[in-house]
Amino acid sequence: MKAKATFYKKRIYPLVFMFAVTVFCILITSGLYLTTQDRAIANELSFTRRAILDAGGLAYTPTTEGIEKAYLEKVTVEDGYYTAQSSDGLRYILPVQGPGLWGTIAIMVGFEQDLSTFSGLAIVSQNETPGLGARIEEPWFTKQFQGKSSPFIFVNEGTAQAPNEIDAITGATRTSEYFRNLTNRAATDAKRIIRGE
Amino acid sequence: MAKSKVRKTFLEPLGKNNPVFVQILGICSTLAVTNKLQNTMVMVLGVMFTTALSSWTLSLLRNHIPSRIRMMVETMVIATFVIIVDIVLKAFYPEMWKQLGPYVGLIITNCIIMGRIEAFALQNKPMLSLVDGLASGLGYAYVLLAIAFVRELLGTGTLWGYQVLGSWWTNWSIMIMPPGGFFVLAIFIWIIRETIMKEEKA
Amino acid sequence: MNGSIMPFAIFFASIFTGNILLTNYLGMCSFLSVSKELKTSTGLGVAVIFVMATTTPLNWLVYQYLLIPFGLEYLRFIVFIIVIAAFVQLTEMTIERYSEPLYQSLGIFLPLITVNCAILGVSLFMVIREYTFLTSFLFGLGSGIGWFIAIIAMAGIRQKLKNAKVPPGLEGPGITLIIAGFMAMAFMGFSGMIAIS
Repeated sequence: MKAKATFYKKRIYPLVFMFAVTVFCILITSGLYLTTQDRAIANELSFTRRAILDAGGLAYTPTTEGIEKAYLEKVTVEDGYYTAQSSDGLRYILPVQGPGLWGTIAIMVGFEQDLSTFSGLAIVSQNETPGLGARIEEPWFTKQFQGKSSPFIFVNEGTAQAPNEIDAITGATRTSEYFRNLTNRAATDAKRIIRGE
Repeated sequence: MAKSKVRKTFLEPLGKNNPVFVQILGICSTLAVTNKLQNTMVMVLGVMFTTALSSWTLSLLRNHIPSRIRMMVETMVIATFVIIVDIVLKAFYPEMWKQLGPYVGLIITNCIIMGRIEAFALQNKPMLSLVDGLASGLGYAYVLLAIAFVRELLGTGTLWGYQVLGSWWTNWSIMIMPPGGFFVLAIFIWIIRETIMKEEKA
Repeated sequence: MNGSIMPFAIFFASIFTGNILLTNYLGMCSFLSVSKELKTSTGLGVAVIFVMATTTPLNWLVYQYLLIPFGLEYLRFIVFIIVIAAFVQLTEMTIERYSEPLYQSLGIFLPLITVNCAILGVSLFMVIREYTFLTSFLFGLGSGIGWFIAIIAMAGIRQKLKNAKVPPGLEGPGITLIIAGFMAMAFMGFSGMIAIS
């Protein structure tokens, strides 16, 4: 009897206990995941839509509803790109992605009608080093592209003046180089995809 | 008597037993996001939530956990709470979630949580453990928020995303870069050890 | 090269410019406490290289072939840490059984590693950055080597520091963090090393 009891205590009980804890934990997390799944998907959609609006330089109220309303009103989906009617004329918005230092950087680039002047730029996703490369997501950086046209030259942070110069990010040489390549490619891609050149 | 014990449990991690200054624990996951006050706030709230509730849960279970699988159970419970934080952030604060990236998940390996469970929760009653976990989280939180305050202010001239220093201010870029975190934390530890801790020793 | 991430760039970047310890502060706890001595640091460093280089691709397989097909991505935190813990435990037992000297020099550090945030960190980064199998392996290996270099460099400096006069409040962790800060600055200087065409 005693041997049986220790066997139970030593082998069976820990297993049963672990199993119970695992099942319980997974039930809780799964339940929560399933209940919030729709919301997470909606967020993702709203995020992409906002990037499109930002790139096109279109005005919107920064709430989920505001984004949806502005998007549905102004943006048309074309084959591989988007067009939008802004207050200063037609905008072409193109999703572009390319390598960053650590992972893929995905951006939305908005063009004015000449397809070389940027109307805006928004980051969809990036995985660069926090505090260094990840600063490409900061508004001061993305705003620089507005009204400028490619090919861009990246210069030291805080010294950009000419209409094709962009402030690079100090300490993130690599990310800046990748980003320069990406934005310059965006302009050629735009002409190819939209005009078929 | 009981009340004073609760008070003591609560106050100790805030002062002379602070997890960051005294034990230098758990800075890994959060230090990386201290270049912005907002991100730091979310992270420390996540840590506080996890420390408090996992201490409480494991204290409830403390008489039933077989000692051989203790670590596994602890990890499981901690990971569950972290996943909850992750899911909630993803659903309700998607932008914050994107910015924090993998750092939310790294709360699991934050040594404070496991440390408090091993050192306190397994020997004490649930409510007291909850208080201890919460206080350790708070002690951790204010230190990291202070670091984030200095780093964001000096690094970008902003606080909580708002510009507070005028255009005369030249940003100390080094502050928001990784070395800045090391320096600010070291200086904080220095100041605290030279002032508060010295008094206590005397 | 266009459109893809260069695995070897990631390998070198994870050793130098993006050193997991010096730019992401991961693995600080064991770094601060162990870097007192060169010998222990070397042992722990080698163990970290080994575990990172093996668990990262292992977790990649688990993620791609178990979690994604069943839609369980949200459980990755639990699963990864269990994989790491189980792997470390297994390795420890194997080494203990078959090689006594190896166990003495490496095995005793293995239990310390499960709680090293850098290990889990590398796996989580690998998922978020959507790496391929090869890239995951090189990233894990590179991060391990980077961590190793950082800890032995620190241990070397700290041994020299034993006879130096340090303000009492800065002794121990304080001065270590300051040195780590300088090391982080020095490592950032490597960023011009690899050129991107």
